[in-house]
Amino acid sequence: MTESTLFTIAFAVYVASLLVYFAALFARRERWSRAAALLALLGLAAHTAALVVRTATSGHAPFTNMYESLSFLSWAIVLALLIFARSARTPRLGPYLMLIVVALVALASSPLMPKEATPLVPALQSYWLWLHVSVTLLGEAFFAVAFVAGILYLASPAPDRKERFDALAYRAVAVGFPLFTLGGLVFGMIWAYRAWGRYWAWDPKEVWSLITWLVFALYLHTRIVMGWKGKRSALIAIVGFLAALFTYFGVNYLLSGLHSYA
Amino acid sequence: MRSLVKFFSSVKLAIVLIILITIASVVGTLIPQNRGAAEYAARYGGLAGFFTGLGLTTLYRSAWYLGLLILFALNTVVCTLTRLGPKGRRAFGPARTAAPQALAAMRPNVRFRLPGTLDEARARVTAALRDRRYRLDAKAGEGRIDVLARKRRLGWFGSDVVHLGLLVVLAGGLASGLGGRRADLALVEGQTAGVPRAAFQVRLDKFETEYYPKGGVKDWKSRLTVVEGGADVLTRVVEVNEPLRYKGYSFYQSGYGTDWNAARLDLEIRRRGDPAFVKPLTVRTGVRTPVDDPGVTSLLVRRFVPDFVLGEGNQVRSRSEEPRNPAALVEAWKGEERIFAGWIFAKYPDFGQGHAEGMKARMTPGGQAAGAPAPPIAVVLKAYAAAPYSVLEAAYDPGAGLVWLGCALVTAGFFLAFYWPPREIRIALEETRGGTELAAGGHAAKGRDAFQAEFEALFRSVRRPE
Repeated sequence: MTESTLFTIAFAVYVASLLVYFAALFARRERWSRAAALLALLGLAAHTAALVVRTATSGHAPFTNMYESLSFLSWAIVLALLIFARSARTPRLGPYLMLIVVALVALASSPLMPKEATPLVPALQSYWLWLHVSVTLLGEAFFAVAFVAGILYLASPAPDRKERFDALAYRAVAVGFPLFTLGGLVFGMIWAYRAWGRYWAWDPKEVWSLITWLVFALYLHTRIVMGWKGKRSALIAIVGFLAALFTYFGVNYLLSGLHSYA
Repeated sequence: MRSLVKFFSSVKLAIVLIILITIASVVGTLIPQNRGAAEYAARYGGLAGFFTGLGLTTLYRSAWYLGLLILFALNTVVCTLTRLGPKGRRAFGPARTAAPQALAAMRPNVRFRLPGTLDEARARVTAALRDRRYRLDAKAGEGRIDVLARKRRLGWFGSDVVHLGLLVVLAGGLASGLGGRRADLALVEGQTAGVPRAAFQVRLDKFETEYYPKGGVKDWKSRLTVVEGGADVLTRVVEVNEPLRYKGYSFYQSGYGTDWNAARLDLEIRRRGDPAFVKPLTVRTGVRTPVDDPGVTSLLVRRFVPDFVLGEGNQVRSRSEEPRNPAALVEAWKGEERIFAGWIFAKYPDFGQGHAEGMKARMTPGGQAAGAPAPPIAVVLKAYAAAPYSVLEAAYDPGAGLVWLGCALVTAGFFLAFYWPPREIRIALEETRGGTELAAGGHAAKGRDAFQAEFEALFRSVRRPE
């Protein structure tokens, strides 16, 4: 099967998973929730196959343009969802996170994103492409979990549920922040040093990943040292994910710099 | 001094600084950095001077941004040091006598009675804790023993290792900023260039551009040899992502081009009114070449441009580095007298023959400038060639090593902080009539559920050893 067929299958299964998740939420059926998670897992399998086929046919890592990296980011968010699905102890994470996944996959499928695989420009020919992009996007996937947990916290009226969302956001940040630091900043600096001869050039993409990093550093310090919890923590987690999204999308379309691939 | 330490040890200061640095960094990405004054004037009008004065156009080098980073570094140092003492005692301090209420206040906690003597109870507790890799410290008193069991003690210091790493990264940045230098070396094949302030040279042996079958550059490869004391020391192929490193210097493939200033041109001299007369000649730009002819004794190509265009004020310039419209400014000499000078074009051999200098503006198709006398010969530009050159960036960056060390510390610190949660169990054993009273409390900053399970299993096995 071709990559685009597999990708379309994954898309369809994700949409099905989304619908079942929301049905489970409104009908209050926990078993349906598990069925939705199973669908998400099936979608993830098809999506994984799509990524593998794309890597095999293009001969390089599947994140060298916006379409490819969107595909990988949504893949990573489904993975993060499945990792957290059980321990989150809430039927709400699945539907709302899946909503983000379906939105990203839809964006990737839209005609706005050129899909043809192009040969790698010299600067991208490095195994750091694998390390830098995959680890960064994986970190951002966990930021997406924290984002959804933050929104659910703000929207939820029940104190015991709020407590759960607050803890969930923190656990997601505890996974996402080290990954983002390692992939985005450390691996990014190492690769920049190899390819461009400098580890830090104050390029807009670099500065925005620093900004994202600072927001999550703020999250941890206000929480652990100052004891902030709840509303303010949730707001910082939300701002952090938006900063990560801006680093990923906004910088490419709104600001110019060295980092013009994706 | 004390109030200064107090000021810098405040986490509130850290939070204020993080927010300020974040906002400043955002501003720096919204205002394009390090551009010319004219661009800022066009973009911001009257505000341009204000922005430049505040350093917003060179924000990341401005005194106040660096000042914020320095304050942040000082804050990090003081915060980390003032918290190190209590943490150190917690991780490595000796066991102390615990009050029963203190143990009961810990989560989780447990209290039960063991048969047997104090020493038997101690042996049981010790064995169970050792099984689970706890390190033990005990304090024996009158009829009682206090045991302090700890593991993953380095986990207490995760955030400190991260902070130390950040400081090392900042120190590396400072070293790069103060002691770093870089220079672009543009070399054609065979050319050797000195590396600024280094005791060696580099020679470009070979430069090639590889293309994909469907077009597009696949790679630039420069075979570079380090020459030191007149001898070749080392030869490496430098390509994008594969720099050459030697004695603290790194050489990066950073650009390429064609050395049109030293173009080699194949010309043909023709005599007007004598179609049979064709004389080929190969010349180098800027080198006067003798011609074996009574009418013309030598030819000189003053200038060659690959993509001729008339710019502002009718100045000749090259629109690009590609040979889209190659043109040469040719001078013909008879003895010491220049008999004509003019631009000739490879693609338009009949165009502009024999213009006097300074008449560029009045060229007309057909080759005659108004009023200029027809020269006795015509020169045709048949072929042109120039050597490709490779631009290698030579960089000396004394801070990079520190930055990598700092990155390693930050990564290790994150691991300790998030995935190496320290655990602590305090146990008080008190001898009573016909047995031993055991009271214990545990503490884990993270992973409390897993710890609770471990704690319960541990004391089940103390109560009923297998």
